[in-house]
Amino acid sequence: MSTSTLELLPEEGLEPGFAAQVASYPGGEKIRRCIQCGTCSGSCQMSADMDYTPRRILAMVRAGMKKEVLSSQAIWYCAACYYCTARCPMGIKLTEVMFALKSLALKEGYVSLKQHSPAFYKSFYEVVERYGRMHEASLIIGLALKTNPLDFVGLAPFGLNMFRKGKIEILPHGVKNRQEIKALVQQVQRLEVR
Amino acid sequence: MLEEIRIGVYVCHCGSNIADKVDCPAVAAYASQLPHVVVARDYQYMCSDPGQELIRQDIKELKLNRVVVASCSPRMHEPTFRKVCESAGLNGYLYEMANIREHCSWVTEDPQQATEKAKALVRAAVARVVHHEPLFERWAPVNPNILVVGGGIAGIEAALKVAAAGNKVWLVEKSPSIGGNMARLDKTFPTLDCSACILTPKMVSVAQDENITLLTYAEVEQVEGYVGNFRVTIRKKARSVDLNKCTGCGRCQEKCPVEVPSEFEAGLAMRKAIYTPFPQAVPNKPAIDREHCRHFTRTKGKCRVCFNVCQVGAIDYDQEDELVTYECGAIIVATGYGLFDPSVGPQWGYGRYDDVITAIQFERLVNASGPTKGKVVCKDGRVPERIAILHCIGSRDENYHPYCSRICCMASLKLAHLAREKTGAEVYNFYIDLRAFGKGYEEFYNRILEEGVNFIRGKGAEVTQKDGRLVVRGEDTLLGRYREVPVDLVILNTALEPQPDATKVAQIFGIQRSADGFFLESHPKLEPLKTATDGVFIAGCCQGPKDIPDSVAQGAGAAAEALSLATAGKVKISPVVASIDPDLCSGCRMCLPLCPYGAISFNEEKKVAEVNETLCKGCGTCAASCGSGALNVRHFTRNQILTQIEEVLAV
Repeated sequence: MSTSTLELLPEEGLEPGFAAQVASYPGGEKIRRCIQCGTCSGSCQMSADMDYTPRRILAMVRAGMKKEVLSSQAIWYCAACYYCTARCPMGIKLTEVMFALKSLALKEGYVSLKQHSPAFYKSFYEVVERYGRMHEASLIIGLALKTNPLDFVGLAPFGLNMFRKGKIEILPHGVKNRQEIKALVQQVQRLEVR
Repeated sequence: MLEEIRIGVYVCHCGSNIADKVDCPAVAAYASQLPHVVVARDYQYMCSDPGQELIRQDIKELKLNRVVVASCSPRMHEPTFRKVCESAGLNGYLYEMANIREHCSWVTEDPQQATEKAKALVRAAVARVVHHEPLFERWAPVNPNILVVGGGIAGIEAALKVAAAGNKVWLVEKSPSIGGNMARLDKTFPTLDCSACILTPKMVSVAQDENITLLTYAEVEQVEGYVGNFRVTIRKKARSVDLNKCTGCGRCQEKCPVEVPSEFEAGLAMRKAIYTPFPQAVPNKPAIDREHCRHFTRTKGKCRVCFNVCQVGAIDYDQEDELVTYECGAIIVATGYGLFDPSVGPQWGYGRYDDVITAIQFERLVNASGPTKGKVVCKDGRVPERIAILHCIGSRDENYHPYCSRICCMASLKLAHLAREKTGAEVYNFYIDLRAFGKGYEEFYNRILEEGVNFIRGKGAEVTQKDGRLVVRGEDTLLGRYREVPVDLVILNTALEPQPDATKVAQIFGIQRSADGFFLESHPKLEPLKTATDGVFIAGCCQGPKDIPDSVAQGAGAAAEALSLATAGKVKISPVVASIDPDLCSGCRMCLPLCPYGAISFNEEKKVAEVNETLCKGCGTCAASCGSGALNVRHFTRNQILTQIEEVLAV
């Protein structure tokens, strides 16, 4: 990111329909109302570490900078604390927009499922779909298998300690009627195909 | 009806406003075939001089006895076309308006559908106008006295102007002194005039003017009557001090043992239970705040300190609220604004950190007669080295008030100047947009920029503490960088909002309110001072946030409105009122309690209800409630309305 020189923003690199695409996601309806006040960035616990602040992400969405937005780290740094959404003076659900951007980045191949953040989300999703609730051990194993298992070897002693203290369990406790949860998830997936 | 009905129909293009969607010639052609229609024309602008002349000529030459104009909302131009009819010798109520702009062209996408709808509206109007009857307006005298409610700068200006014209005016103020919010400000933008120095002479003029009767510590309780002839009941709250005897020496306030946070000093200092709100108060005589006074609460009469020290015997614990009535022709409501309480948003730290204060508190802090005698200090007495001013707190925010409070940008610039002048501190203004819209305001902005105030374009999102120092978190949106700015003092420039009792006041005076809760003017551009109730005018911040120049202008403007009524000496009373057919009235009395204006009474002798036509506003509530069909509102009779509905629905 360069802020010291004014580079030309090439028009041919912009996607004019990008804002409309994001606006069509649940929670994205109001992005055109953004007044760029920066309340989101000032409230965000992660903005100091982001490559683009949340306010800037929204400005880039509206400008059609699809490539830059969908390949940014910022959208994956969002911790979904919802401070921005709670405080936004224009009622924009920025946390939901961040989810939409993550989903788009995956769908359109800007990130691969081998990368940690997307893989984490995917693994989380799969565990919930399978058991109807969280199971930490499955989550971390899923994540390891999707990315590089060797990255997680160092975590083993930590996991062992958590197990000793009863913080994680070996076997998952699923909810009753898992089939219903599965059916529910599949229905949502069908609806989401656009 | 024996005479032959001869209707003229005029379809207006309204430039492109109607003609863009509605095929006006086709509508006119359609209308010309409707029953009783003698002539149907379409024209560019019916309201223009040649448009009006067209109707006038047709009435005379074609002997029209009914006129329908299909154009805009009747709000603006119904009176115009009524006058046209009357100038051609036709009663103005034999006229009907079809609204094919607001109700049709502006809200319909498809031109074909718009044209069909316009035809239906015209058909309904033509059918309705057949049943119209000539009605005659009456005149009522206007009482030349005027009431002004609210003693802030807008109310003061209004009262002074009315008095200067020689009319009697009562100025009612609910607190013990006039002066309002302006009295609490230190300096005023953009000239940096001392607020008190320009306000107090006006306050004194009010007190000295023979035509002004000043009622402080008083509230309007009830308004009866109608334009030109109001009867107002005012509650003079028990002040417990005899204003005729009191010399304003101040001994009672010195000796009073009870301390209460001062409203005037925005809670930064204490006042006594017997108090004058501020040194330049008018009248400069105290009132006892009975809610806190020991005589009236804890000691149940034992504490008599003020009574004992008063050398002129002005203290009167037995004084009671007094109801007085005032008859006047017009009312000016200038009840001002309230301030947003930022403690509802925990992110700003107000109420949590001592050195987070509001703009009005800073005004008092920086004022030479304020709680610190004008020294700008933190709670612990340190002089702040770094100060943040946060704009738009509670304004432009859907979580609180979506509207812009208008004055905060300029007030924040002024506060930045005062802060630097008094302390030499680094000042950081966190803003979203800077709106320097008024005369001399942009120049003031330039001056503050040159003075070296730091401007950060981004809303102050959060005030927190780091290593014992306040930190304002926000994004410098022009740099695209997240910032944490350490400061010693944070000033929150809070939103202007409707007064807490705006609902009640609106009800008393029959004023409507806009979505933001402020009082609603009749027309946002052309009738900014009028309200839905004839003879009741509004001025200043009760209508919406305003700076001092605008409030003063509105005060003077409202005085002109009231005076033009008073000077005319008479007022037209609409003939569109309820009427009761005594042969049909069953005497059930259902309508009596429903009438919001007390215009219906019951004739015990004849056992039927009767309408006082001077009080009736023609709202129609009674007509809708009448089970025997005896009640009708003229010009909106059942027959007229049902015919119109039938025709608009006919295929």
